[in-house]
Formats: sequence, C-alpha cells, structure tokens
Amino acid sequence: MAAEDQESASRVGAASGQAERIAEEEKLRADCYGLLARLLRATPEAELLRTIAGIEGDDTPFGRALDELAKAAASASAEALDDEYLNLFVGVGSGELLPYASYYLTGFLNEKPLAKLRGDMAQLGIARADEVTEPEDHIASLCEIMAGLINGSFGAPADLAAQRSFFDKHLGQWAARFFQDLEEAKSAAFYVPVGRVGRLFMEIEAAAFGMLSDEGVRRPH
Amino acid sequence: MREREEDQRLARRELFRLAGLGTVAGAVAVAGATHEAQAVTEAGADGAGYRETDHVKTYYTLAKF
Repeated sequence: MAAEDQESASRVGAASGQAERIAEEEKLRADCYGLLARLLRATPEAELLRTIAGIEGDDTPFGRALDELAKAAASASAEALDDEYLNLFVGVGSGELLPYASYYLTGFLNEKPLAKLRGDMAQLGIARADEVTEPEDHIASLCEIMAGLINGSFGAPADLAAQRSFFDKHLGQWAARFFQDLEEAKSAAFYVPVGRVGRLFMEIEAAAFGMLSDEGVRRPH
Repeated sequence: MREREEDQRLARRELFRLAGLGTVAGAVAVAGATHEAQAVTEAGADGAGYRETDHVKTYYTLAKF
C-alpha cells in the first residue's frame, strides 16, 4: 500500500475523532478503565498513590471500595508494593495469579482467546506497543483498549455496540472472576481493594451493556 | 429511533449514578488519565507492533468508521 494512502487513512481517523464528543458518564468509564490499567500494569508510583489517596467514593458498594482503595494508597509503602506486585503477578508459575484472558478461559496461556483478540485488535486498528513483550490479553491491556475505545484514543470513539462487542468477547466472561481472585489472593494487601473496585466495575459495565437494546448490536461470534 | 437512543443514554447515566460512578469524577479522572507507558497503541502509528499486510489493509478500510 502506498504511503499517501496510509497518510490519508490516518487523517480521516483523526478528523472524525475530533468531531465526536463523549458524554461525561462515558468519560468516567474510560477513566475507571485507565486507572485499573495503570494499577495492574505495574506498581503505582508515589504521585499516582497520592492522587488515589484523594479519591472519595459515595455510599454505594463501588464508592466504598474506592474509599478502601484511597485508604490503602495513603498508607502504602513503595517497597511493600513492589514485593506484593511481584508475588501476585510476576513470573509464570511463581506469581500467584495469571491475569490473562487465555488462561482464565482455557487454562493455558497464548491459546485461542489471544488469537481472537489479536484479530479484533487489528480490525480496530490497535497494535501492541513496540517495547511490550507481554501477550495482549493481559488484563491491563484489555482495560487500556476499553478506555481507548470509549475516549477515542485509537481514532474515533467506538459506539456502544462496538464497545459492548469487545467487552463481551474479551472481558465479560472472565475479568470479574480475575478481580475476585485478586481480592482473595494470599499476597494481596493494597491489591485487595483494587480487586474489589475492578470486580464491581466489571459488574456495573455488564449491567449497563445489558440494558442496551439488541438492535444493531454486533453479537459476539 | 433518535428518542430511543436518548432514553438509552439517560438510563445508562442513571445506572452509573446509582452505582456510584458519578461522584468520583475528579481524582479518578486524574489517576486514570492515559499516559505514555501504554501497552497498546494505534496501529497506523510508525513502528507499532503488528503490521501484517492483511491487518493493515483491514485497518485502512475500517479507519473511516
């Protein structure tokens, strides 16, 4: 394909991205996905911890979980966090949890769910960043993709039908289960409320997508 | 049709409000803001991961959505 075609294609994507405006509540969803992605990709840095410590939830289960997370962030030490993260996630077989769609859906890493995800990512015009070696079906990547689909980081914002389709195929069947495992993990302390926030958020997302009429919604295949 | 979409939007907003999503705007927005250390990126960008011809072609077809 010629370079000028390539350029014009990305211009079209960028232009339509600017034209769309996202409703406030939808942006909030993107932020929740973004927060979960940052916490699950790596241990939070001091600045992020300070920000999280300032979160105030309301008197709902989700709000209370956010309060717990804020409290945990206020008292977390960088060293303890690094140990905790290592014990929870690092090393196949030595980390307590394997936060990958393929593992949760098939019992093995790098199986069909990963292949399907790669196909869908290509269709959406999303690729793994160059320096990343981890499989794309890591929970943090999937949360990043959802955030990007909502707020339009990958060209135009995706409509709710497309968001729902991606969620149903790649998160809906396992992410809440993973977050619950995180809540209950032996090594988890700071990550207990992270797991709770994630689980409740996945439930909220599933309920909200479930409200959409099926008309025009692309069903997962 | 337009009305139905609007109803749906309001119902979603109400669900998110009741679920407690609405009150956390400020700090979660700051904490969740996307930053450079992302694991995924737009496929069209230079040097991005998977660039198999078929995938890239599909992307160009779909980039107009």
